[in-house]
Amino acid sequence: MISASEEDFELELRSLPGVLNVGIAHHDNGDVDSVTLFVRDQDPDAVRDVAMHVASLYYADATVTVEDARTAPLSSPRDAERVALVWTEFNEKDGVSEVHLSYDGRVGVGLSTHGPLIGGAEATLAALRELGFEIPCYLMAVANVHTATGWPVIVTLRSTEDGTNRIGIAQAEGELLSAAKATLDALNRYVAAATVP
Amino acid sequence: MAGTTAVDATLPAERSDPREFLALLDQLSANEFGIGFVYSALELLARQYHLDDALVVLGDESLGTQAFRLDRKPVSGDTQSGVVATPGVICVPDAVPEVVKDVVTSVCQLALSLHVARHGGAHDRLTNIANRRYFDTALRTAAMQSARYGWKFTLVLADVNGYANTARQGRASVSDELVRNFALTLRQSVRSGDTATRIGADGFGVILWNAERAEVSAFTERLASLPLPDGQHVSLTIGTASAPRDSTDPDELFRLATNRLADAKASAAS
Repeated sequence: MISASEEDFELELRSLPGVLNVGIAHHDNGDVDSVTLFVRDQDPDAVRDVAMHVASLYYADATVTVEDARTAPLSSPRDAERVALVWTEFNEKDGVSEVHLSYDGRVGVGLSTHGPLIGGAEATLAALRELGFEIPCYLMAVANVHTATGWPVIVTLRSTEDGTNRIGIAQAEGELLSAAKATLDALNRYVAAATVP
Repeated sequence: MAGTTAVDATLPAERSDPREFLALLDQLSANEFGIGFVYSALELLARQYHLDDALVVLGDESLGTQAFRLDRKPVSGDTQSGVVATPGVICVPDAVPEVVKDVVTSVCQLALSLHVARHGGAHDRLTNIANRRYFDTALRTAAMQSARYGWKFTLVLADVNGYANTARQGRASVSDELVRNFALTLRQSVRSGDTATRIGADGFGVILWNAERAEVSAFTERLASLPLPDGQHVSLTIGTASAPRDSTDPDELFRLATNRLADAKASAAS
């Protein structure tokens, strides 16, 4: 089992721009010996400089190698035009959740009367549909999960086409914002690839 | 690594029974859920289906495409084709039922997302150091321990001078770079066990254990004198409060340190 510290170390390296993969080799005593990063669309030397600083915070003696993936270009959702979450509001009086999304300069607004959790996911789907996306999914479940650092929200959507589940998770300020972000997370790759009529 | 090797026809029937594997995966997820889970799932897959190699490609909102390889081996050369693939599991030999691959992909995706969410809930996105929420909890815990056991610590608040001006001039990338570099230097300056956090745009909070006047002065001088990763030096304004000497109430300690920081700013300006 990997230690929590080493998990965070790897996550921090993976969060550096352009990093697709992190390979880690260990000494016999279990300490990290060397780290190999596989990056694309970034200056490998710049990534190596930052990675070496990060590595020095966790494992002072670890060596860092960066491999350039320029020969294997990827098509990542991050490169595509994205749907942005602009604004959310929950009205406690009438229980209405409101979600505003923007895409390609246009704003879509979704409303739901089912509270901040389920309502947050429903309002997000409604806003996406108003933006013109055809979302071939329906809402299966919304749940928040207790963890040591808060209550991330998990949204499960089920495809109407093949019955598979799309799962999204997010933790933000408040249930509504978390539910909206988790819904977008569940749909992320689909929405990024979809075309709006 | 190519993902097209034919299924090993000599596999015993029980080895390819997805239900057995899924039960093991369920046990695993009860004990461990984070990046480590992804590797454990790959190990389990390799053991169960006698694989030579395995790779899972996942996608994440903030990280983008991410590849994880069995035994934490790096992806390179022969495995590049795996990274190009859409999210999913690639195995050598290709002896794993599709239903198992789909489940492994889904639970690994969930494990990664949960880890990212958990980390994001406690860390500042720009600098990757602990955030205000973590700071508040850490300060409350430290103050409680100081009140109960008399343990000494000093709260150090540090503002990076020049950040606001740079940001106001619309040079957000420059000010972000300044803060990011300072955060790296700060993390390198604190001892193991101390807490370094970003609590405002240009504000950092540090909890230094077993440190009072002399040690705190040495720390702040060292911090201001260290070059940032880009070679620049940063100018800081500092305010401190020590427990239990000044107080053991976290709000009071924060108020004292904030006031002292404001005084230091005022005297520097006059």
